[in-house]
Amino acid sequence: MPTFAIVILVLFSAVLAGVVVVRPVITASRAGKILAFGVFFFLPLFSLVAGMENEMQRSESTAFCLSCHVMEPYGKSLHIDDPGYLAGAHYQNHRVPAEEACYTCHTDYAMFGTIQAKFGGLRHLYIYYLGKPPQPEDIKLYKPFNNRECLHCHLGARSFEQGATHNADPATLPAIKANTLSCISSGCHDTVHNVGRWGDKVKFWDGGS
Amino acid sequence: MRSGDLMARRLRIAGILVIVGLLVEALCLVWSKPIAFVVLVCIGGALIGLGVLSFLYSLVSVPPHTADTSRAAPDK
Repeated sequence: MPTFAIVILVLFSAVLAGVVVVRPVITASRAGKILAFGVFFFLPLFSLVAGMENEMQRSESTAFCLSCHVMEPYGKSLHIDDPGYLAGAHYQNHRVPAEEACYTCHTDYAMFGTIQAKFGGLRHLYIYYLGKPPQPEDIKLYKPFNNRECLHCHLGARSFEQGATHNADPATLPAIKANTLSCISSGCHDTVHNVGRWGDKVKFWDGGS
Repeated sequence: MRSGDLMARRLRIAGILVIVGLLVEALCLVWSKPIAFVVLVCIGGALIGLGVLSFLYSLVSVPPHTADTSRAAPDK
């Protein structure tokens, strides 16, 4: 449901509740009782669930993640004009949905991955508003990046399965799939965001959203 | 206090809680900051929840009107 529709529903519910608050005598009739049940029980709960669902959806958007100041350089890294930068290359070539770029890579593709990502987001909020947020270049992942998140899309893809580098050593591909050799390990796809280490030569692509 | 007045008072309290909760929710929906989600759940959700519970409580806590009771009682 679009945000504006939920806002209209919420305001409509509030107006109806206001009518009952101003004139509670209308609840004396059968129709008034049904109205009261609707505006004090059904509509508020429906509006709340719809609003929370909307916020959950919004929390997966790139704009949502980048609305915190410490994330600004990470958003900027998506526009680096260099295919060697993993995050930028994925974003600019729509290997991940541009409007959900952060979430697509930084959620766990496991049973409770979405829930864990939401709790992680709440932790970020706590640190951002009540704690001491680190400098952007000091931000680290809570745990090493799991290849499972990459393989969610790349597993079975020809470029991955038959890539020359991936098959140069017969042990490489099984090690990647078993998560014993990280995709972003040194010498492989190790340039991801690289915030704070861009130097002066880095250029930015001005396309995209 | 008459049961009708008590009912009306409790409905008003429930309604005000629900209205304030809904207004908080509406503000959060148009406020595109990460904190909006927390405010929606913790403040808006709590107010709406309290309002709904107050409404349900008002239904079960107020004794029926005397007039209604006498009308409902079988003639002897």
